[in-house]
Amino acid sequence: MTVTASHTGAARWAAVRPWLGVAARLGLAAVWLIAGGAKVGDLAASGRAVNAYQVMPYDVATVIGAALPFVELALGALLLFGLATRLAAGISAALLVVFVAGIASAWSRGLAIDCGCFGSGGQLAAGQAPSYLPEILRDLGFLALAGFLLIWPRTPVSVDGWLAGPPVEDDDE
Amino acid sequence: MSSRKGQKDAARVVREQLARERRRKRTLWTSLVAVAVLVIAGGIGWAVWSSQRSDTFTAPPGATEAGTGIAYGTGPVTIDLYEDFLCPACNQFQQTSGATIDQLVSEGKARVVFHPVAYLNRFSTTEYSTRSSAASGCAAKGGKFQEYAKALFAKQPPEGGAGLSDDELVDIGAGVGLNRDDFASCVSDGTYKAWTEHVTDDASRAGVTGTPTVKVNGAEVADRSPAGLTAAVAAASK
Repeated sequence: MTVTASHTGAARWAAVRPWLGVAARLGLAAVWLIAGGAKVGDLAASGRAVNAYQVMPYDVATVIGAALPFVELALGALLLFGLATRLAAGISAALLVVFVAGIASAWSRGLAIDCGCFGSGGQLAAGQAPSYLPEILRDLGFLALAGFLLIWPRTPVSVDGWLAGPPVEDDDE
Repeated sequence: MSSRKGQKDAARVVREQLARERRRKRTLWTSLVAVAVLVIAGGIGWAVWSSQRSDTFTAPPGATEAGTGIAYGTGPVTIDLYEDFLCPACNQFQQTSGATIDQLVSEGKARVVFHPVAYLNRFSTTEYSTRSSAASGCAAKGGKFQEYAKALFAKQPPEGGAGLSDDELVDIGAGVGLNRDDFASCVSDGTYKAWTEHVTDDASRAGVTGTPTVKVNGAEVADRSPAGLTAAVAAASK
């Protein structure tokens, strides 16, 4: 009995997993496309948002601030099309870890800034409270999506899948 | 019998090895393509950013030597004001403490350097922060910077909209006594837009991350009330 129960459980997981993967992939793609799109219109402000963390010299911050929105858009596009999904998920996870570390460090140093995650950014007006915890929790949620794709990168309707051809029994890539 | 089975096994091992090899190659190539896409995207961002920046600027008359703000007054203590004409908190600050600053200047206690930074371009659909700051440069050229800055705050548009049009900026200039034709052509030519960028860039470099920021002799003042400012200036002139 128990054998069949776990067997049907595994079968159900095998049937659901690919579609959870698609949802995670498109969800993470949307996050990057929205985050990059919100920043790409004002690269100077993006540089100032990076500079507000006060972890690097201003000139470095402006370059990072200018490059980051485009990298985010490109990551979003890779995930949207499902090209090199595991690599894109890995880089997403690395970026998100850096963002969480940045927010936590701003928090611990007592800075009052907006994370600038989806545009805006910079110092908050007096009397405006920073919302570091929700920002970190949100990024951890995104990190979970990236983690799912790192473990199970093969999803339906993806360039990866199309390149690999029909799935074989031991498709762990 | 056993040799046939052995041959079959060997063939299967070879097939699997080839499949693994193909898969490895495919992963390598897609990864290389993906990394190239990301690197190129970052490069594009950097290129767009550097093409947007202007290398040269003309500071309006009345600007400091480094061209980072408009200076007025002759007092021994320097008050640096970093404000964006679209920023509501700056408007509030001007209303509560503007008169105190004017008084400190007229009493000869302080000199003001006003940095009209364009931090909030994202909060208008027409880059109002840059346009209004560049227009204030035009007002400085006409010798009416202080009056114009005050009038801009009095007519501050809300965040998130189109801001004031260039025509409205010109009307305000004419209202404070600037020559309409000279001022209008300065505004429409964007004569001081590169200067605005320089002012904004310099403020960021100086660690100003929000507006308003007030510094007295280079030290940021947390208490921007009239009493706080007066005390900070008194302490600095000792």
